[in-house]
Amino acid sequence: MNILETENICHDFKGLVALFRVNLQVADGERHAIIGPNGAGKTTLFNVVTGTFPPSNGRVFFKGKDVTGWKPYHLTRFGMGRSFQITSTFSRLTAFQNIRMAILSKRGIRFNLFNRVDNMREVTEETDEVLRRIHLDGERDVPASLLSYGKHRSLEVSLALATDPELVMLDEPTAGMSRDETHHAVELIRRLTEGKTMVIIEHDMDVVFSLADRITVLHHGEILATGTPDEIREDQAIKDAYLGELEASDAA
Amino acid sequence: MRMSWKNWIPWVVILIVVVFYPVVTDIYYTNIFVGFAIFALYAVTLNLLLGYNGLLSFGHAMFFGTGAYATALVLTHIPGFPLLPSILVGGLAAAVMALIVTPLLVRVSGTAFAMLTLAFGQLMFVLALKFREVTGGEDGVGGYPIPPLKIPGVASISMTDATNFYYFAVAVTALCLWLLWHYTKTPFGSLVVGVRDNAMRVDFLGLTVRHIRAINLIVSGTFAGIAGAMFALFQDLVSTVGVLDIFNSFSPIMMAYVGGVGSYFGPIIGSGILALLEDLTRQYTERVELVNGLVFILAVLYAPMGVVGLLDAAKTKWFSKSVEKANVERLS
Amino acid sequence: MSPTTAMYVAQAIHGLAYGMLLFLVSSGLTMIFGMMGILNIAHASFYMLAGYFCYTVINMTGNFWLSLLFAPVLAGITGVLVERFLLRKVHVRGHLAELLITVGIMLVILEGVKVFWGTESLMIRMPKGLDGLLTIAGMVYPVYRLFIIGLSFVILGIMALILFKTRLGKIVRAAVSDADMVSALGINTPLVFMLVFGIGTWLAGVAGVAAAPLLTVFPGMADQMGMDAFVVVVVGGFGSLLGAFVVALCLGELNAYGIQFIPRLAPVLMFAFMAIVLSFKPTGFFGERE
Repeated sequence: MNILETENICHDFKGLVALFRVNLQVADGERHAIIGPNGAGKTTLFNVVTGTFPPSNGRVFFKGKDVTGWKPYHLTRFGMGRSFQITSTFSRLTAFQNIRMAILSKRGIRFNLFNRVDNMREVTEETDEVLRRIHLDGERDVPASLLSYGKHRSLEVSLALATDPELVMLDEPTAGMSRDETHHAVELIRRLTEGKTMVIIEHDMDVVFSLADRITVLHHGEILATGTPDEIREDQAIKDAYLGELEASDAA
Repeated sequence: MRMSWKNWIPWVVILIVVVFYPVVTDIYYTNIFVGFAIFALYAVTLNLLLGYNGLLSFGHAMFFGTGAYATALVLTHIPGFPLLPSILVGGLAAAVMALIVTPLLVRVSGTAFAMLTLAFGQLMFVLALKFREVTGGEDGVGGYPIPPLKIPGVASISMTDATNFYYFAVAVTALCLWLLWHYTKTPFGSLVVGVRDNAMRVDFLGLTVRHIRAINLIVSGTFAGIAGAMFALFQDLVSTVGVLDIFNSFSPIMMAYVGGVGSYFGPIIGSGILALLEDLTRQYTERVELVNGLVFILAVLYAPMGVVGLLDAAKTKWFSKSVEKANVERLS
Repeated sequence: MSPTTAMYVAQAIHGLAYGMLLFLVSSGLTMIFGMMGILNIAHASFYMLAGYFCYTVINMTGNFWLSLLFAPVLAGITGVLVERFLLRKVHVRGHLAELLITVGIMLVILEGVKVFWGTESLMIRMPKGLDGLLTIAGMVYPVYRLFIIGLSFVILGIMALILFKTRLGKIVRAAVSDADMVSALGINTPLVFMLVFGIGTWLAGVAGVAAAPLLTVFPGMADQMGMDAFVVVVVGGFGSLLGAFVVALCLGELNAYGIQFIPRLAPVLMFAFMAIVLSFKPTGFFGERE
């Protein structure tokens, strides 16, 4: 079954068409990359799917259910996770406190006004475990805003993953990273998304080709092509128009 | 939590000071302390919104005033109404007030929130003025009997005695402050801080931001109402100017800010500083608010994290090499 | 004209007079917010301050017209100093700090006038020639209120001319709409900020002097005006002069008729409306900036 399907998604911003008849299918357990030049509508598609705003037209199906117009918190509880292109963490809180927030939500500890959160051993242990897995246990008590860029991005991505979603939507997780950082990030992502379905927006073609099972190419809000990495690589038209462009901007 | 005996020392000292304070000072200073305690609680409830949730309320007096009037009215109209329930009535009335305004308040933040709370606060002020048959208008409600503290079968302690009331008020406010401190340390408390830092992320973590804001507002308002109830018992007079006007909304803001919005105890310290300042100023001029205003402006300009912030910065400079620690979040 | 109609018309004129004064005060407030993002809690304090300056100028010169000339300017200068030395310092720290410092400024001005002028109400005599009654079509109006309306329209006209017909006005309007853009175009935004803040407080000062003979000068003078100005700016739209104009006049009439017919309901209506606008359309009816 397709864990995620969009049906004829159209979206416009006051006359400017951002998405047009986008029909995306992501199979259960698949690693799906969405590529395309800047302004192609990739983040808008993410916004529509993850509930930031509803599409002007069309429907979104998640786990077989029509979730069009569902708010983000609802979708997260239903099993979706999302990371942002621009790092969006709890900047004044420590790495530990950041992850703990996600763990509390995951465990359904929302309106607990009785226990002392610092005394909740299971929560603390699970949070520390997550920090270990993302190699941030050394920065446990460092405020997020003071983390190095790469580690801050790791925190960002792991906030999306810490609620243990079935479908993970990552928006340019390696944006701004050095070669080394990117390499580590990819390994981390591969490890942490095992057993999950992942949809990733990426500009770095090396990342795309090393992670993705299937690729969708978006341009001017429309799907240009969908297929396996080999199929996309072989497609001359795409190659001429976009991959060259992407590789050029990647080298810049 | 590891509790070394060293952690208890400051609290024992404070306890001793508080217990013996009225013995060594006269009624005037005993009453100043009571005022400080009540406003310390009031300022802490405001900081639940400001420091913990990032919301500036210009109308917090609506809760304080509702609590004060509720207690005063119930003591005026129901003869023999007991002490502790009169306080609970104040808190309950404020809670109802919070329940009414919360649905609108959770929809906004920032300047809009400040304006909306200003509007509600002013509305309450005007309503209290207009409905004089209930509230006594500008003259207010006063002279109602202050019930004694009854411990069944043991004693009946008069609350019109300044020293007795001092111990009672300090005990009540200390209890409330402890409850609120505990509240900030719960899992829910950390969610409140999360909403302050990044409401969108909280949404994407699967949590309902509006519900979190709502509960925080109601807790804050209820305890502000309890502070108001204590005020009613303390002053034996509740009037619009005393509890509902805009300065009653500004004063907890100033206290919280001067003491430090970034810590739980900041507003308490701020309340103490302003109480001392007021006492000092009064000896020279009646223009107490002028001095408060100037101190407040200085705080905004030069000490945005208040006295606690200055102490933190000083501590870091002298004891630690890491500048990073100076910015550590104290609230969660 | 029958006595009842005469009364209605008289009320309407009262409402118009207050509405125009309210507009003078609110226009500055809304422009300052639109351009600098600051809601100046102390704005009405300049209205009051000018009233006090007016009293002093009259004491020194015995001439109301001189006070109308100088008192608002003094208020405007105070505004410029406040912007330059206080607001600018906290601008970088965000809206919360700015909002808070304007609260402090309001308190200091409010208490400060008590120190220099005492707490008693100060009477200011209306200038000769304006203190009489005018009879039009069998109805009698106080000349002074008509003067207020006239003066406000003149000021309004001058401001409109400057804003829409001069290059400076164009810059100011652009800055009110998008200060960052204007800065990117190389225009000295701090200077424009200072200018707009000064003009805004000057306008409030003009209203203060105009109102002084009518309301007397006392520390609580700014209370009603201040709150009403916030309502106007919120409902009319942050940064919108048209919105401020429409809402100020409506509010003026609501106050005038409200006091007569629905004394208890009028303020409730006003605040309820403000609350609804804030909750559902925070940018106000005509505004764009949040």
